[in-house]
Amino acid sequence: MRVVYDGTFEGFLTIVYELYYQKLKPTVIEKSALSYSLFDEVDTLVTDETKALKVLQGLQKWWSRKNLQTILNTFMCDSKSFEMDLLKFIRLGFKDEKELQNINHTSVFAIRNLEKEFFRHYHRMTGFVRFQELEDETLYAKIEGKFNTLYYLGEHFSKRFNNQKFIIHDIERGLAFVHNQESKGIHQVADFDEPIYSSKEEKFLKLWKTFFKSVAIESRTNPKLQQSFVPLIYRTYMSEFG
Amino acid sequence: MKKDIYTKMQILSDSAKYDVSCSSSGSDNNYKTGELGATENSGICHTFTADGRCVSLLKVLLTNYCIYDCAYCMNRVGNDIPRAAFSPKELADITINFYKRNYIEGLFLSSGIIYSEDHTMELILKTLRLLRHEHKFNGYIHVKLIPGSDAKLIDEVVKLASRVSSNIELPSNKSLKLLAPNKTKEKVLQPLKLARDISLERTDKVIGMSTQLIVGATPESDRDILQLSSALYDKALLKRVYYSAYIPVNNHKNLPALVNKPPLLREHRLYQADWLLRFYGFNWSEIVNEANPNLDEELDPKTFWALNNLHLFPIEINQASKEELIRIPGIGVRGAYKIIAARRFKRLGFDDLKKLRVSLKRARYFITCRGKYQNEVALYPEKIRYALLEPAKPKQPTLFDINYSATTGEL
Repeated sequence: MRVVYDGTFEGFLTIVYELYYQKLKPTVIEKSALSYSLFDEVDTLVTDETKALKVLQGLQKWWSRKNLQTILNTFMCDSKSFEMDLLKFIRLGFKDEKELQNINHTSVFAIRNLEKEFFRHYHRMTGFVRFQELEDETLYAKIEGKFNTLYYLGEHFSKRFNNQKFIIHDIERGLAFVHNQESKGIHQVADFDEPIYSSKEEKFLKLWKTFFKSVAIESRTNPKLQQSFVPLIYRTYMSEFG
Repeated sequence: MKKDIYTKMQILSDSAKYDVSCSSSGSDNNYKTGELGATENSGICHTFTADGRCVSLLKVLLTNYCIYDCAYCMNRVGNDIPRAAFSPKELADITINFYKRNYIEGLFLSSGIIYSEDHTMELILKTLRLLRHEHKFNGYIHVKLIPGSDAKLIDEVVKLASRVSSNIELPSNKSLKLLAPNKTKEKVLQPLKLARDISLERTDKVIGMSTQLIVGATPESDRDILQLSSALYDKALLKRVYYSAYIPVNNHKNLPALVNKPPLLREHRLYQADWLLRFYGFNWSEIVNEANPNLDEELDPKTFWALNNLHLFPIEINQASKEELIRIPGIGVRGAYKIIAARRFKRLGFDDLKKLRVSLKRARYFITCRGKYQNEVALYPEKIRYALLEPAKPKQPTLFDINYSATTGEL
């Protein structure tokens, strides 16, 4: 059976609930119905917060924090269709949590690998995010990416820019991590205007480009290798490639 | 004539680029509330240059004026090149602003010798003090110690820096005498030893140190080089030795005459061997010996070792210890961990390994799964070697046919 849900975490937990209480047997789970065929049995699931909460409480009660975190991290990989694997992962975990270390299960292996891919992506982003200084000395970065790493990036930069004000803006997802003296956290961005950058910006960008160009050793030029380390998809906001 | 800051940056980063080291890993995660900067245990690469090297640190020379006359170095006193110098304040300012834009992980500071060793070290120290005390910067700072500078200065640098290093450059005293007449092995190692002792006095953790060796400028064999590296690791003197394929930047009667291209493959093999020393529990004498003083060009060092020690194989992957597993060609540390995690739940066969995405390209000739050995190639060194090196199927040539390896850059 094909199940369609709204793509939210609560929506997914509702599926888990129905799995146990309504004997729901999904074979495909989609975030939104892509195409219907006449003979498909499609079940559109309405997100129910009480059901979702019940499942969440169950997870918090019976699962170790680390495995629960794996579920949340998997959910941040929003460009992948991980739902079936995650569902099997959760069923397996409720049966016997030890089995979640058994990578001989295809779905456990898939989820563990997806989590690794997520952190690999996050790790790359920690290096490839570029901030620009605004008029009022706030540091502002635009990002895009296949996974939603905003929370982790925000925490990472809260440590290193502890005495700075900064904003990381996920353009595609319309989210922003805002950090200042008083608070830090993720906010929705409804619409925004291009901010005004500080006058120092130009000088340091030029210095940075100069540096980037002159540290390369000409006789060893190898653009293929470079591209395997910095795939084009990451380069959108990287100032040295602009 | 006073140079503008962009020209200075161009000259001084250009002069520093032959230093290979750019790692920012291996330090504790440290951040302080209300201050700027933190280091990351894993290290972070912030971009990659056109030659595919990671840029993690702002790698510059404080100055490229130098009183030394090392034949292999482009900054030697006899060379007629544009010279420049940053003031400590200028450099600290650039570092902080680069850091705030997340261009870099920290600073890699080296320098030519201006006036004297001590004077140069003073300037470096001034920059460090500005960064650490004035700007409250806790990010990564790697300082190149100046051989022959005063112990007091080194002491303070070691206190402020995250990592220090001093380049040995050439693997033997004889070569040093030939190409770097102002340096001796003792003089080059002196600051490293000093830094080790200083940091040991304060904590039980030695400050991270590294060095760099130039490969291919002098006639030493890989055996000499690996023996030296291995000795340096054993004495807990160094965390890391870097190898740098010799790139001709000067003409000198003592340097190899015409080199068409840098020995990149040799450099690559040396790094592979170096990894075997540091992470795979190998001894240098297992990798190279009297009969084979140089590393094999066609096969990686681990495969080469395995073929010479075929009596230890095949290894049964369901029983082997971690130490044995990582000695199998093609199986690395990650692969070994995957196998160990999976075999707790079931006895693994070849299919299971494939499902776990353990690379079997080389490993299949050296393992058994549930007692079974693959049945295509018999367990003889020549046969396995042939199977491993089997010429790849010819590809359709393209119009602009320059193929080079993504890993080594070799044509």
